[in-house]
Amino acid sequence: MIIEIGYFAVIAALVVSIAGILAPLIGLKTGNPAWIRAGRQAVTANFILISLGCGSLIYSFLLRDFSVKYVVMNSNSRLPVFYTVAALWGGHEGSLLFWAWILAAFATLAAWIHWKSHPETMPYLLAIESSLTVGFLALIIFLSSPFERVFPALAEGMDLNPLLQDPGMVFHPPFLYLGYVGFSIPFSFALAALLSGRLGEEWIRATHRWTLFSWIMLTFGIIMGGYWAYYELGWGGYWAWDPVENASFMPWLVGTAFLHSVMVQEKRKMFKVWNLFLIIVTFSLSLLGTFLVRSGILSSVHAFANDPGRGVYILIFMSTVLILSFGILIIRSNKLKVKIEMDSVISRESAYLFNNLFFLIATATVFLGTLYPLLVDTLYGTKVTVGAPYYNKVFLPIVLIILILMGIAPMIAWRKASMENLRKNFLVPVIAALAGTVISAIIGIRQIYPLAAAFIVFFVAATIISDLYKNSSYWASHSGTSLLTGIWKAWYHNQRRYGGLVTHIGVLVMILGIIGSSAYKLEKTIILKPGDEFSLGHYSYKFQGLQDVQGINWEGAEALFNVYEGNNFIAEMRPQKRRYSGGSQMPTTEAAIYPRHMGDLYLSMTDITQDGWITVMAFQNPLIHWIWYGGGIMGLGVVLILFKRKRRES
Amino acid sequence: MKGWHVATIVALIGIIGLFYAGLGRDPRNIPTVLVGTAAPSFSGPNVQSGEILSFDSYKGKIIVLNFWASWCQECRLEHQNLLAINGEFRNYPDFVMLGIDYQDQPGDANGFLNSFGSSYPHIRDIKGTIAIDYGVYGVPETFIIDSKGIIRFKYVGPIIGPVYSQVTEKIIRPLLEGKEL
Repeated sequence: MIIEIGYFAVIAALVVSIAGILAPLIGLKTGNPAWIRAGRQAVTANFILISLGCGSLIYSFLLRDFSVKYVVMNSNSRLPVFYTVAALWGGHEGSLLFWAWILAAFATLAAWIHWKSHPETMPYLLAIESSLTVGFLALIIFLSSPFERVFPALAEGMDLNPLLQDPGMVFHPPFLYLGYVGFSIPFSFALAALLSGRLGEEWIRATHRWTLFSWIMLTFGIIMGGYWAYYELGWGGYWAWDPVENASFMPWLVGTAFLHSVMVQEKRKMFKVWNLFLIIVTFSLSLLGTFLVRSGILSSVHAFANDPGRGVYILIFMSTVLILSFGILIIRSNKLKVKIEMDSVISRESAYLFNNLFFLIATATVFLGTLYPLLVDTLYGTKVTVGAPYYNKVFLPIVLIILILMGIAPMIAWRKASMENLRKNFLVPVIAALAGTVISAIIGIRQIYPLAAAFIVFFVAATIISDLYKNSSYWASHSGTSLLTGIWKAWYHNQRRYGGLVTHIGVLVMILGIIGSSAYKLEKTIILKPGDEFSLGHYSYKFQGLQDVQGINWEGAEALFNVYEGNNFIAEMRPQKRRYSGGSQMPTTEAAIYPRHMGDLYLSMTDITQDGWITVMAFQNPLIHWIWYGGGIMGLGVVLILFKRKRRES
Repeated sequence: MKGWHVATIVALIGIIGLFYAGLGRDPRNIPTVLVGTAAPSFSGPNVQSGEILSFDSYKGKIIVLNFWASWCQECRLEHQNLLAINGEFRNYPDFVMLGIDYQDQPGDANGFLNSFGSSYPHIRDIKGTIAIDYGVYGVPETFIIDSKGIIRFKYVGPIIGPVYSQVTEKIIRPLLEGKEL
C-alpha cells in the first residue's frame, strides 16, 4: 500500500511539473503574476510529492517488503539498516528518483530564495527547472520505476551489491549528485538570462553561492569516490581514469573554469558569452555523466548500475537539453556585443583567460580519451582501450601549467600589470621556488614531474604567504597594531580572496599527496604460504596464517600479517577476502591499511589456493593522506567564502 | 553565423550521432579471432638486452605468448603465476615462453621486470603492431601456440586462481606430451 502511495505521488509530480512549465510561461504572456506564483507552488508541491516517493521507498526497504522489486534487487533481510537506507541510490531506478528529488529540492530552494530579487528571470527559471524535472520523472515512471511489485512476494531479497556495502558508497553518490544537480541552478539562471534578455551580471551574482556549493560537493564526491576505490577495490590506487570517473571529472574541470571566469565578468564585464557557454557545458557534462553511467555505452568498473535499454531515452533527453540550450545561446549571443577589450596580455583577465583555456583543453583530453574507444568501435568495429599512459602523457603537462597560473593569476593586476608590479610580486616567490626545488633535489627527488611539481608548490605557496604578509603588515601599520591583528584585518576585509587562496593551498597539499603516493609508491605481488616473510621498503611482513571470519551477511577468510620495522613489531594487518550471502556470490577484497607517517602500508589478498597459499599485493603509499587532507582544506576555503559576512550596501 | 556557432553545432551533431550509433553495441563483446588459425610471425628487440628476437626461430615448439604492460594492474596479479608456469615447464625442450611488452616505455618495462622477476625473454611492442596482428584489445592476454604454429588457446585476463591449473594441466602439459586437446 505504502509503495503505491509513493508511486502515485511521483505520477502526480509529473503532472504538477508539466503544469510547472506552463503556468510561468502563461504568466509571462498574460502578465498575470498569479500564474507565476502558481509556478512556484508547482515546484514546491513537486518537492513534497517526490519526497513522498523517496520516503515510501525507504519505508519499504526498512520494512523489508520483498514484494517490491527494487527492494528485492537491492537488499535482503540481513543487510544493515545503514545500507538499507542507502540502497535507495544503490541501483539504477532508485538513483534516478534520488536525482529527481534533489533537483526538486534545489528548484524549490532557488524559487524561494531568489523570488523577490529576480522577478524578471523567475518565470523562466521555474519553467526550465520544471522541464528538467519532467525529463527525469518521465524516465522514472515509464522506463525505470522503482515502485514495481513482484507477485507473489519473495521471502528474501538478492542483497545490495557487495562493493556498495561500504560507508564510502553511502556518501559518494549523494555528494556527486548534489554537485551535478546543483549546477542546474546556475544553468537555469543562465538560460533565464538569455531568454529574458537580462544579460548583465545579475545572474552571475545570484548564482555565485550555488556554483561554489555545487563545485565543492562535486569535489567531495570525486575525492570520496577515490577513497572508496582505494580501500574497497584492493588495487592500491584511487584513480584509474575509468570512463565513469572521467564522467564526474569533466564537469568538475569546466565548473572550475566557470568559477574563475565569472570573476572577470564581475570585475571587468568581460567574458559574457563565454560564461554562459561554460555553465551550459558544465551542466551538459553533468547530464553526460548520468548518461555514461546509466546507458552502459562504455565498459567500466561502474558497470553494476547500467541498462542499455534506457540509454535511448536518456540520449533523447540529453540531446534535447543540449540542442535547446546551445541553440538559445547561439541565437541570443548576437545581443551580447562586448566593447571592452583586453588592455594587455600581462593582466589578471588574460591570466584567467589562459586558466579557462587550459581547463578546457584538459577537459577535451579527458573527453577524447573517454570516448575514443566508442568512436573506434562505432566507426571501425575495433576494440581499443585508452589507459593511464595516455592520460599521464597528455594530462600532466596541462595540470602543471594550470598550477603555475594558480600562483600567477591572483597576484597580477587587473587591466595591465607593470614590470614593477611583476617584480614586486614574483621576485620572492621565484627565489623561494628555486630554493625549494634545489632542496628537493638534494633530499633525493630526481624525477622530472615531482621536481616540476615541487617548484610549483613552493612558488604558489610563496605567492600566497607573501601576499598575506604584505596585506597584514599594511593593516598592522594602518591601525598601529600587531601583525597578528593585521592578519585578522586583512582576512576580514578580503574574505572572498583569502577563502579562494585557502582552497588553492588545499590543491597544493593534494598535489603533494598525489606526487608522493604515485611517484614514490612501492609495490610487490607475492605468493606466500604460512610462515613466509617478505619485505618492502623499510618494513617486513610475516604471514602468520589464514582464519575464517564472519560478518552479519558475509563470510570470508582473513590473512594475518605481523609487520616489523627493522626488528620492531609495529602492527598486525588483516586483509580479507569476503563472500556475501544473497544472490551475487561475488567475492570482494578488503584491503588492510595501516597508516604510517601520513602514508599507508597496504595489503590486499587477491587469491587463495586450496592448500593455503595466498597471493598478496603489498603497497607502500607515502603521503597519501595528504590527498584527503587537501580535499578538506579545499572545503574549508569554500566554506569561508560561503559564510562571509554580507557587505553593507554603500 | 560566426565560427564558434558552426563549431558548436557540428560538435553537438557529432557527439549525439556517436552516442546514438554506439548505443546498440556491447562494450564487453570481444570478437573471437585466431584460435585455430596460424600464429602471425613477428620480431622485435628484447626488452632487457635489446637483441632482436624472431618468432620464426622458435618454430616447431610449444609457445606460451603473454601480452603484458607495466601500467597494467592485472598483469601484476598474474606475474608470479607466469614465472611459475615457466618454472614448471622450462625443462621440456619443446617449451618456450615469451612475453610481449605492449605499448610500454622501455624504462618502465625494465623496472617492472626488475622488481617482479623475469625468467623468460620479453619482446618490445611499443607501437602495438604485434598486438594488432594477434587481435589483442587489452592486456593481459595469453596465447598458446602448438608445434605446427597454430593458436590453440587464448585467454583474456590474468592467469590467476583456477585458470592457472586449467592452462597448465588442460592445455600446456597435453600439448607437450603430444596428446590431443
